[in-house]
Amino acid sequence: MAPAVTSTTVSLDVDPQNYEDEHVHAVYDQIASHFSSTRYKPWPIIVQFLSSLSTGWVGLDSGTGNGKYLSLPADRPGSVWTIGLDRSRNLLRIAQTAGGNGVTREVLWGDVLGRPWRDGAFDYAISIATIHHLATWERRKAAVQRILQAISPSHGRALIYVWAIEQDDLSKRSIPQSQEYQIAGQDVFVPWVVAKGQLQQKSLSNVEQECRTDPSECEEIKAQEQTSPPPVFNRYYHMFAKGELTRLVHDAADELRLSIGSKADNTMGAGVEIVQDGWERSNYYVELRRWEYQ
Amino acid sequence: MVRLITHNLLACHAKGCTTNNFPLKLQDVVVEVREAEFNADFLRGFLPRIEWTALVNAAKELGDTSLPLEMPEMVDDEFLKNLHHVLLEIHVDEGAMVCPNCGHKYPIMNGIPNMLLAEHEIG
Repeated sequence: MAPAVTSTTVSLDVDPQNYEDEHVHAVYDQIASHFSSTRYKPWPIIVQFLSSLSTGWVGLDSGTGNGKYLSLPADRPGSVWTIGLDRSRNLLRIAQTAGGNGVTREVLWGDVLGRPWRDGAFDYAISIATIHHLATWERRKAAVQRILQAISPSHGRALIYVWAIEQDDLSKRSIPQSQEYQIAGQDVFVPWVVAKGQLQQKSLSNVEQECRTDPSECEEIKAQEQTSPPPVFNRYYHMFAKGELTRLVHDAADELRLSIGSKADNTMGAGVEIVQDGWERSNYYVELRRWEYQ
Repeated sequence: MVRLITHNLLACHAKGCTTNNFPLKLQDVVVEVREAEFNADFLRGFLPRIEWTALVNAAKELGDTSLPLEMPEMVDDEFLKNLHHVLLEIHVDEGAMVCPNCGHKYPIMNGIPNMLLAEHEIG
């Protein structure tokens, strides 16, 4: 059985940047290849979003991880161009060849709170399972603002996914819940268990391969596993409460003086429309579209 | 990889650096040309979003002078082929991008540009 998810609180005394370095970035660099070998199935709403983009658009995948979305849409490969940004260099090395076929992907080593682009240079942006790793409301809001600033003020589209407290039946995790979680969300540590010999270089599939080709080595690995417990890496997550992501978008937009609503409902200025928001497979998502009157 | 399609979108984001922070100057580059699949529709769609002068100059810095100084009004196949090559086939694997305003240096290693800032450089 997988180790349990434990609740945690980010102390007001700690520097959130250092906290994330220790409980998010360092962990992903350690578990990169094992993590990547378990992340291959794109979620339906994201696939749909990427399929709906106009040919010739360029986009940013903020927190790209192993880059599994960089090669989409699968039915029109090369019709759009997604550039992946991530804090983990080891995951970026994997993302560089995401999608296979000898195609190389464009990746940037950076922080989702950074702004290393011309404002509005991108036609679209996605941020999948990333913002929930930021340790304060202010930092999560800033991450949403960076996305709004990265996309075109006249037509830019964005899709954001975060982990929800509301987990689906298929999820193996049971989530501790504090009293206030229904409004403010819940900070947790999610354990990642890496079997012996799989740190950094080896992926799970490599080990399985070895088991098939050399059973004696497989026995050795199993023996190692029995003698000492496998290393566990705790990743920090903020699990979002229902409605919290949409509130975050409102807060982020207000501060940038962007109206919330559709272009048709406004007669001047600039804004962002919430095209859809909802819950899919243990995650909340929100799709956004920017507009402006000139 | 840093190709010119990416370079055309990047700007310096060091603290206080908000004007003249684009385009970043390519420095000490190691370049490799790798073929990519040609997609005319993608190029036509992306064309209006390009900062043209920045692209022409960056291509020149990498030794490619195939692009016209002005974005052409008539887009023909030969032009699109050249544009394809400049945007998508020239890979900067090593080197740096330097801000023309504040001089901040973004190193490129193994095709990955380091766009991270130190804590005191974050705006």
